[in-house]
Amino acid sequence: MAVEALRLDGVTRRFGAVTALHGASLVVAPGEFVTLLGPSGCGKTTLLNLVAGFQTPDEGEIFLGGESVTRVPVWKRDIGMVFQSYALFPHMNVAENVAYGLRARGMPKVEAMGRVAEALRMVRLSGLEDRRPRQLSGGQQQRAALARALVIRPRILLLDEPFSALDRALRGGLQVEVREIQRAAGVATLFVTHDQHEALAMSDRIAVMSGGRIHQVGTPEEVYARPADRFVAGFVGDATVLRGRLRGLMGGTAGIEVGQAVLEADAAPLRGLSQGAPVDAFLRPETLSPGGPALLSGEVRSVVFQGGHVDVHLACAEAAGGRAVARLAPMLASGLAAGSVLELAGPSRCAAFPAEEPA
Amino acid sequence: MSWWLRLLVLLLLAFIAMPALVACIVAFDARSILNFPPQAWSMRWFERAMTYPDFRDGAWNSLLVMISASVIATLLGAGAALALEKLEFRGKRTLEALVMAPLVVPHFVVGLGFLTLFAQSGLPRGLPLLVLCHVVLVLPFVVRSVWISLKSLDGRLEDAALSLGAPPSRVLRQVTLPLLLPGLAGGWLFAAILSFTEFSASLFVSTQRTQTLPVAMYNYVREYADPSIAALSAIWIVTTMLLILAADRWLGLSRVLGTEVPGGR
Amino acid sequence: MAGEKSTALGQGAPGLLRGLALPAWLCGLAFAAALLAVFQYALRAHVPGELEPGGFTLQNFVAQAHPLYIGVFWDTLLLCAGTAILSLLAGYPLAWAILRTRSRLARSMILAIVITPLFLGEIVRTYGWIVVLGNSGFLNAALAWLGLGRAEMLFTTGGVLAALVHVTLPIVVIMLAAGLAHIEPELERAAQSLGATPARGFFTVTLPLSLPGILAAGTTAFAWTFSAFATPQLVGGGKVNMISNLVYQLGFASFNFPFAAALAVSGLALTAVSLAALSLVTRRVEQRL
Ligand SMILES: Nc1ncnc2c1ncn2[C@@H]1O[C@H](COP(=O)(O)OP(=O)(O)OP(=O)(O)O)[C@@H](O)[C@H]1O
Ligand SMILES: [Mg+2]
Repeated sequence: MAVEALRLDGVTRRFGAVTALHGASLVVAPGEFVTLLGPSGCGKTTLLNLVAGFQTPDEGEIFLGGESVTRVPVWKRDIGMVFQSYALFPHMNVAENVAYGLRARGMPKVEAMGRVAEALRMVRLSGLEDRRPRQLSGGQQQRAALARALVIRPRILLLDEPFSALDRALRGGLQVEVREIQRAAGVATLFVTHDQHEALAMSDRIAVMSGGRIHQVGTPEEVYARPADRFVAGFVGDATVLRGRLRGLMGGTAGIEVGQAVLEADAAPLRGLSQGAPVDAFLRPETLSPGGPALLSGEVRSVVFQGGHVDVHLACAEAAGGRAVARLAPMLASGLAAGSVLELAGPSRCAAFPAEEPA
Repeated sequence: MSWWLRLLVLLLLAFIAMPALVACIVAFDARSILNFPPQAWSMRWFERAMTYPDFRDGAWNSLLVMISASVIATLLGAGAALALEKLEFRGKRTLEALVMAPLVVPHFVVGLGFLTLFAQSGLPRGLPLLVLCHVVLVLPFVVRSVWISLKSLDGRLEDAALSLGAPPSRVLRQVTLPLLLPGLAGGWLFAAILSFTEFSASLFVSTQRTQTLPVAMYNYVREYADPSIAALSAIWIVTTMLLILAADRWLGLSRVLGTEVPGGR
Repeated sequence: MAGEKSTALGQGAPGLLRGLALPAWLCGLAFAAALLAVFQYALRAHVPGELEPGGFTLQNFVAQAHPLYIGVFWDTLLLCAGTAILSLLAGYPLAWAILRTRSRLARSMILAIVITPLFLGEIVRTYGWIVVLGNSGFLNAALAWLGLGRAEMLFTTGGVLAALVHVTLPIVVIMLAAGLAHIEPELERAAQSLGATPARGFFTVTLPLSLPGILAAGTTAFAWTFSAFATPQLVGGGKVNMISNLVYQLGFASFNFPFAAALAVSGLALTAVSLAALSLVTRRVEQRL
């Protein structure tokens, strides 16, 4: 078995004057679930289409299972794709839909039907073989599309925002289910979403993209706790941004002065900055807690009950945009009301990046 | 698209455009028999086409019939479409069938029918017969065009006007009709073009005195081989193209056709 | 795109709307009367030298069993079917191109070229074909220029067929394009992602899904061709005849209007049967989709 299911080497794709993808490199290991996460128009679909073969790169190479497929047409790539609209063939029943890829590969009908039954069992659609796609619920269509893509045992499974057509209540359950099916099938997967919660919940690793570039590839924990740059820090999860100064670099750790407090941060993004240079510290809401020593304080604007926790939004002059947000246990937030003043203590460690404009 | 598909499409477009283009070229041929390619050029066939009495009378008849038939058909069609869309009444399906049936009955049968009907009832075969025949033939297109507009019209606007105390006749006049105007204009234009180009039925119901331009052209082609008809066709083609361009400009081609011609991606 | 339907207006003024529909009723009844006149004539005897028909008889229908007439009926059916099939074959790539051409300008150009003939009328188009197909016409000049000799094209079935296809092509393209537009392009991509070549994807997905549009367009082409008169008359030059030409000849050359009417009635019956058969097939296909 090859060590990598998919490898992209410096892949660039242009549409006229627009460069949809700039030299993207990415590796997906066998069985791994990798998510492309980024705002609309950042090039996620383009990257997926390049891997599928619907488009060819202007520069760079694409490998599937160690073999270059850059010039191989879609139908010879052995990929499995689930489309946003599912793209189930409306004139075929579920079984015929799932068998389509096998029949296209010349598999005899009897053998194909065995594989189809197995795939439908896997996605728990057994018994619905004779239904037409329009007689299925949204979630069932989703699973039929998944079975159709998986039954050919693809080298990689490609999913382009497969949950966006479903309502919120269905999504959560299906996310878990898709992940279980994918794990059982052991298929390497590239998943596209612009929903950070979905990405954090499902992925082995996340590739965060914007403006046609891959900013960071890492596990959900890495991407959340140690964002590689300002964009990732701002896009994944909420953050309160405070202006501070670089105190010094020691090995892999930087010291940051924010007001009276000193915080630690990953040194990598700050290398090359001189001492005293302005930096921005990104503080996750759950790392802020009421009490002293106060890192920041502000007037409570709104208290939003979220079930397991409470989000407290503050007006805070020191923070970028004048806004700060803290995530507190409901107990700690019980006395808070709009208009009261809250002091918050900070964490010992945060993420920090060179300031965007000089203070 | 692969190159061979492009080539095929180009060839098919050439097939479609060829007769009109070739006719336009021949119109300028100086010789009096059809012989391609022309050796010398002249405008004399245009002159003849414009002065030949049958063509002048035919054009005049066509114009009269076209204007009367399209206006009458638009009025009748709008009334029928309104009733069919807004009202439940006995005989609704009969009315719909009667009005739409000329779509599937060959024009020569319709022509023969009106000819025999008028012959039997002893009525004269004048221009009114032609107008009646054309109204029957173009009515389905008007009804369809108006009906499509009515279906896409937001009925809540009418309800709102009624709820504000306007009587139905006033709502029809001040709310429904203005909103229907594009559909009416499209239906009228389509009716006018169909009437002006109608040939088979007109051949049956017209006489030497009431013959329309297409009938006069047909008779000419059967007797003479000179390019007068080519010249007339050239004028016709250019006029039609200008009209289509204008219609597309002001009404949108898809609306005139009564079919939403789908845009690609 | 369908708006909210209001029936309040209808309920509020049924009399007004009924009145508006009255002229259309009259017009429809005139049409029905004209058709009845044809049926009635078809059952009357022909009195030679008289325009006024004689007593009631079935002779006009019995006489149609002659091989001459049966031959024309058969030719008409073949021409209608042939035109429908050729129009579909030629129309499909054009409809496809209108939907899938990326450039807006190219798309509008194709659409404009395709629909312009729709507005030219039978005579202008047929005359164009005479100039194209004639013995010293455009195509023969082109053939001679290429050193391929000359070919008989005017007054042949092939020539009539070409001109008839030309008449039906615009409406066929419009109807096919409307049908194809409802097919999601993602389905073709899905087929390819599953290992189907573009050709296999086309034949297993796109084509079956466009079948209703194909049948509708084919039916329309069939009916339109049945109605054709000037094209077979002028391009066929008396050597290729359709029922319409026979009806005209009998009426205006022999003044045998009863027999002409009977032929027209048989023609109507033939179209009605053909169209009914086609709509049956269409319904079957639509049920399967
Ligand atoms: N066929 C095309 N022609 C021209 N530009 C294109 C084409 N496809 C994509 N682009 C451009 O490339 C960029 C990336 O598009 P892409 O569809 O990959 O974004 P995306 O990340 O999938 O966005 P979304 O979340 O909205 O689906 C966009 O700026 C888009 O406008
Ligand atoms: Mg996308």
